[in-house]
Amino acid sequence: MLIEPIISVNNLNKYFFSPDKSLKIDAVKNVTVDIFQGEVVVVIGPSGAGKSTFLRCLNGLEDFDSGTIVIDKIPLDHHHKNRLEIRKEVGMVFQSFNLFPHMTVGKNISLAVRRVRKKSVSECDKITVDLLEKVGITDKIDSYPGQLSGGQQQRVAIARALAMNPKVMLFDEATSALDPEMISEVLDVMKNLAKDGMTMVVVTHEMGFAREAGSRILFMDNGEIVEDRKVEDFFLDPIEDRSKAFLSKVL
Amino acid sequence: MIFVRKAVFIDSIKYILFLSFIVFILTVSSSNMNYNWQWYRVPGYIFTYSADGSLEAGRLLKGLGVTVRISAISLVLAFIIGMITALLRLSSSFAARVVSRIYLELIRNTPLLIQLFVIYFVISPVFNISPFVSAILALSLFEGAYASEIIRGGINAIPKGQWESAYSLGMSSIDTYRYIILPQTFKQVLPPLTGQAVSLIKDSALVSTIAIFDLTMAGQAIISETFLTFEIWFTVALIYLLMTISISTFVHYLEKRNSYAH
Repeated sequence: MLIEPIISVNNLNKYFFSPDKSLKIDAVKNVTVDIFQGEVVVVIGPSGAGKSTFLRCLNGLEDFDSGTIVIDKIPLDHHHKNRLEIRKEVGMVFQSFNLFPHMTVGKNISLAVRRVRKKSVSECDKITVDLLEKVGITDKIDSYPGQLSGGQQQRVAIARALAMNPKVMLFDEATSALDPEMISEVLDVMKNLAKDGMTMVVVTHEMGFAREAGSRILFMDNGEIVEDRKVEDFFLDPIEDRSKAFLSKVL
Repeated sequence: MIFVRKAVFIDSIKYILFLSFIVFILTVSSSNMNYNWQWYRVPGYIFTYSADGSLEAGRLLKGLGVTVRISAISLVLAFIIGMITALLRLSSSFAARVVSRIYLELIRNTPLLIQLFVIYFVISPVFNISPFVSAILALSLFEGAYASEIIRGGINAIPKGQWESAYSLGMSSIDTYRYIILPQTFKQVLPPLTGQAVSLIKDSALVSTIAIFDLTMAGQAIISETFLTFEIWFTVALIYLLMTISISTFVHYLEKRNSYAH
């Protein structure tokens, strides 16, 4: 029996034009990849390689120019309904947290569950408390985001995405804006998620995380996937010159 | 601490000197004009005794009532119009953007007095609208255009990440506006919107030109009967000042109460 991939990307292309319209820049170029349930796919590569743009295409935050994306059997196309449906199933964590500053931590987490999943207030409260426990900040439920440290804010952001009970989680450089001493507390939450079997696509510069929690590496450069390998294979034996050059700089 | 007290002391001295100067100028100019001050007659136009001896509002206070009613209704309408126009200008529909843009340019590039006359003399006879409604219509359309620019600016100032995180949670555009964008916008635009509300109250004086007995019209009428030019105009100005200052103070209090940590 054939296992269906949960994310199926086929020949995805996205390009920008330079401000004077003379140069066409490929942000994502001919990307084809299948991602299966429970995989932790780590996307790495030099900055400007199109990693974030690729990730943002996956939940429709960024429009693409050609190709197809199918997530959980729903095609990401011009139908607004499909887009909303996919976003319900795909959680995203941003580099700059993007918590809602005018709401308490509890409200940040429960808002979408209440409005989008239409759960009852008591269910929302339970989900909120459970998730805050999972990310280790139960005492901050009534605080505002501005009163939390960066690491705490990012953990709230993870809890907020998880509250929707998504099938896939996307992480867009989730630790890049953090002070060094707070990176590990966020990475630990992410590692636990991976252990629990969450399907994750992670754009990161944390090679330690990639090695420890990742199951598969997508190495991107100039918008293309240069290598698509198992984590241990990639780090022990990179094939392409570009991956070798990148690894020699970051390791 | 001692420095602060000293600074306050010097400031107070400056303030008192300035006030004395103003009073001096006024006294000199009025004595040069041989103006006969009759302040004692003013209270009668604020409060007056009715035939049966009970206290009732004088003509100025009745005019103030009309001004307050017109301003309050126009304020609410201007806010709603401003909100809708801002959302139309930010919408993805081409037609909505064009319509709101035409409205905006039309209102902002013509004098309010002319708009008032057009509505009162041209439009109101056609639709049989009362002067009171014409006044409200003109004021709310005028201030709504400015309010919409303030609101649009406020919405544009919300970081893009707020939209993205709301969308990434599967929220619709309407929910995103309602729960995420607009509540944050209001906190930002409250001070400039208050300024606009103050403008509206002041601009409402223009409705006296279309036969509405507002505060300004009441003042004008009293002066033409009594020649208390200085006393009445000073009193009218003071009443406008009290209204606008109390609005600013109230909003300032609201702002302080609703602030959250950033």
